[in-house]
Amino acid sequence: MSLLTLDNVTIRFGGLTAVDTVNLEVKQGEILALIGPNGAGKSTVFNLITSIYQPTEGKISLDGKALTGIPTHKIADMGITRTFQTIRLFPELSVLDNVKIGAHCRGKAGLLQAFTRLPSMKREEAEMEENAIKALEFLDLDAKKEDMAKNLSYGEQRRLEIARALVSKPKILLLDEPAAGMNPQEKVVLMEMIRRIRDTGITIFLVEHDMKLVMGISERIAVLDYGKLIAEGTPLEVRSNKAVIEAYLGSGKFKSRIRR
Amino acid sequence: MPILNNLMQQLVNGLALGGIYALIALGYTMVYGIIGMINFAYGEIFMFGAYAGLVLALTNYVNVYTALLGATLITMILGVVIERVAYKPIRRSSRLSALISAIGVSIFLSSFMVRVKGPNTRGFPTLFENRIFEIGNFQITIYQIVIIGVAGLMMLGLHLFVTYTKMGRAMRACAQDKDAASLMGVNIDRVISVTFAIGSGLAGTAGVLAGIYFNAVQPYMGLLAGLKAFAAAVLGGIGSIPGAMIGGIVIGLTEILGITVNLSEYKDAFAFAILILVLLFKPSGIMGRKANKKV
Amino acid sequence: MKKLLDNWLVQFLLFLCVLGLTAFITDAIGDVLPPYLLMIGLFIGINLIMALGLNLITGVTGQLSLGHAAFMSIGAYASAIATVNYHVPFLGGVLIGGLVACLFGIVIGFPTLRLTGDYLAIATLGFAEIVRVQFTNMKITNGAIGFLGIQGSTTFPIVMTIAVITIILMVWLENSRNGRAMLAIREDEIASSAVGINTTLYKIQAFAIGAFCAGVGGALFAHTTTFIQPTDFGFMKSVDILSIVVLGGLGSIPGTVIGAIVLTAAPEILRPLANYRMMVYGVLLVIIMIFRPYGLLGGVNLRKAVRRAFMLTKKKQAGREE
Ligand SMILES: Nc1ncnc2c1ncn2[C@@H]1O[C@H](COP(=O)(O)OP(=O)(O)O)[C@@H](O)[C@H]1O
Ligand SMILES: [Mg+2]
Repeated sequence: MSLLTLDNVTIRFGGLTAVDTVNLEVKQGEILALIGPNGAGKSTVFNLITSIYQPTEGKISLDGKALTGIPTHKIADMGITRTFQTIRLFPELSVLDNVKIGAHCRGKAGLLQAFTRLPSMKREEAEMEENAIKALEFLDLDAKKEDMAKNLSYGEQRRLEIARALVSKPKILLLDEPAAGMNPQEKVVLMEMIRRIRDTGITIFLVEHDMKLVMGISERIAVLDYGKLIAEGTPLEVRSNKAVIEAYLGSGKFKSRIRR
Repeated sequence: MPILNNLMQQLVNGLALGGIYALIALGYTMVYGIIGMINFAYGEIFMFGAYAGLVLALTNYVNVYTALLGATLITMILGVVIERVAYKPIRRSSRLSALISAIGVSIFLSSFMVRVKGPNTRGFPTLFENRIFEIGNFQITIYQIVIIGVAGLMMLGLHLFVTYTKMGRAMRACAQDKDAASLMGVNIDRVISVTFAIGSGLAGTAGVLAGIYFNAVQPYMGLLAGLKAFAAAVLGGIGSIPGAMIGGIVIGLTEILGITVNLSEYKDAFAFAILILVLLFKPSGIMGRKANKKV
Repeated sequence: MKKLLDNWLVQFLLFLCVLGLTAFITDAIGDVLPPYLLMIGLFIGINLIMALGLNLITGVTGQLSLGHAAFMSIGAYASAIATVNYHVPFLGGVLIGGLVACLFGIVIGFPTLRLTGDYLAIATLGFAEIVRVQFTNMKITNGAIGFLGIQGSTTFPIVMTIAVITIILMVWLENSRNGRAMLAIREDEIASSAVGINTTLYKIQAFAIGAFCAGVGGALFAHTTTFIQPTDFGFMKSVDILSIVVLGGLGSIPGTVIGAIVLTAAPEILRPLANYRMMVYGVLLVIIMIFRPYGLLGGVNLRKAVRRAFMLTKKKQAGREE
């Protein structure tokens, strides 16, 4: 069953077509990876799904509801949260606050509640804190909850971003290069964490360069090159796909294709 | 055609006023382009230039050119000293601390002038006879010719400097990417000093021109002039040199236009009303390039 | 004990007690302090109320505003017109001042908050200049001549009680869902919207509350000086308030309190320097920014610092007992 659907999605920046008529379905409960050389348009796909960019053409929908035209801040509430390729935490706030803010869309308290501190608001706060701590425990960060986010190590910051995205209990989690900058041990732990997140019923859609990780956890892989989807299938299928080998596995290395 | 003549007349008046704003705006824009900082003390450097011109003009042997040149040199040095003392130590901190530091400098400069020269408005001695030329049915004064001429020449000079000299190229490189420029062997500190020197010199020149034009010099004259010039820089697209010139002239013209249509009580509000309107419709200013935010 | 303190009614009563105590103590202080010092104390309170509002806008939400004096002037004139022309009681006038300023904050906020960083700063500055020119040209405000004959109803206990209320409400706000959303916007707007924060909404909330505080401060100011004119609310006034916030440490409520005390008292303490006073003040601003670029209390987690100090004394005691 398809949870997230990209239907002929295209975006152009001036003369550059960063994403070119992409059709893609993310199925309920799967781990889907999007791979491709640098500059292929992978992050742009995530920015389109989260409404940070609006597609020039095409439609994106979640559970049949159109996402196009909906402002970014409503996307989280609909059940899509994400991490960023370049870490975007709230650096001067505590780890716990970072995660609590991640649960923003699940809270209701407004100004009136802030100023009156009625029992209902206290209950919501307590619940939020409890969920935040659970998310931190899940990503093995609970010991650092009082630290400022900027003081965490690189790998910890990546995990904190996942915790922040997870605490609102999304239907689908978008991870943009979650293993970037991690050492091999951290990567193994991360792989395990991603699996466990999926086992709680959250669909995973990730962009990643580390082939070991991608081949290890994805059930399906989609390959993007110059904005076009050139292959889609199981890791085995993609690995033996001619176009893919030609486009980028064949060279044995990642070719950078940053286009201007 | 009285309307047309009137329009030409206002155009000349607006150009003269706008030339002064444009000169100050250039300083704002250059510093912003290179270190991303609003140097709020520019208005006071302008005021300092006016007083330097006044002091020079009061000595007997000085003509208008030496007064202009002297004031320009003094404000250039002042600008470099201010940068070294008050801004350089906090270059790596937040822009707000730089802003407060600049505000501290401007409070210091204006109260220094109150202390030294008194709080009252001073007239400017006549350095040369003002004459009025009649062209068709509108008039242009020598003062206006000098202001438009000097402002035009300085802008041309600045343009040539930035486009064709090695230092100018280094400045443009820093404006694009300071770290990369530094890696390519550009001496950032030198570039910043030169930027401050040039910007302050332009403001100093503008100060003398304003002193001559309005025949009035006052310790707090920098505040409103500086704010309007800053508005001009943002209006034109902050960081853009042609933008600052255009912005200055637009602000000058609207102010004169406001006076012409009998709204002179509101003349100080015009610059800002235009500014807000432009920002709302083209947030990066007239000549500013749209910042393309990649996520 | 802890459970009892968690009870809403108990907390509310505690809140009232704190207010009562503040009023009582400041009233007593008012009786013994010489009028000159009392006046300084009063201005510290007024500046603090306004600076707390700006701290919410600039320190917490990260939106640089250079036009806070405009909201102050709107509150000042609105309250003065209410109490003088329409015989509204003093506290009612203060409330009106706050509300009218708040309304302007919202109206101005909608279009301008699309701007970011320095562009927002210059737009707020422009707005403030327009407001000032407008007040200079209005009949009801008596133009440039100034508004005369306002009752001197502001007292030290009233100012201090309102200041304490403002502090408590600001602390509550910062520790709420709304406050955290505002902090998140300061830290990273794109990440904020990705977690579901409607950035425009919270920016406008911050602006509205900040403007309200400035309006209340302006109303208290008008009913202290009994005479106001547009030049009281120029760019330098906005700068004064911003300096308090930045100097104390952006986003820090204790910092804002210290900033308000230091910067309101500084020109008075420097008064013996006579003509050199403002020069020294300018130099002080520069020096503080060089040595404490994040403000006096910037980057200091007060709660943590106090806890650590507490632990240290405990350890020392434990050491002694051994
Ligand atoms: N906001 C933008 N404006 C212009 N070009 C953009 C923008 N965002 C992305 N691009 C361009 O789109 C292409 C795809 O970028 P991206 O999606 O980041 O690639 P990647 O697959 O490495 O994540 C690149 O050439 C990039 O320069
Ligand atoms: Mg990418």
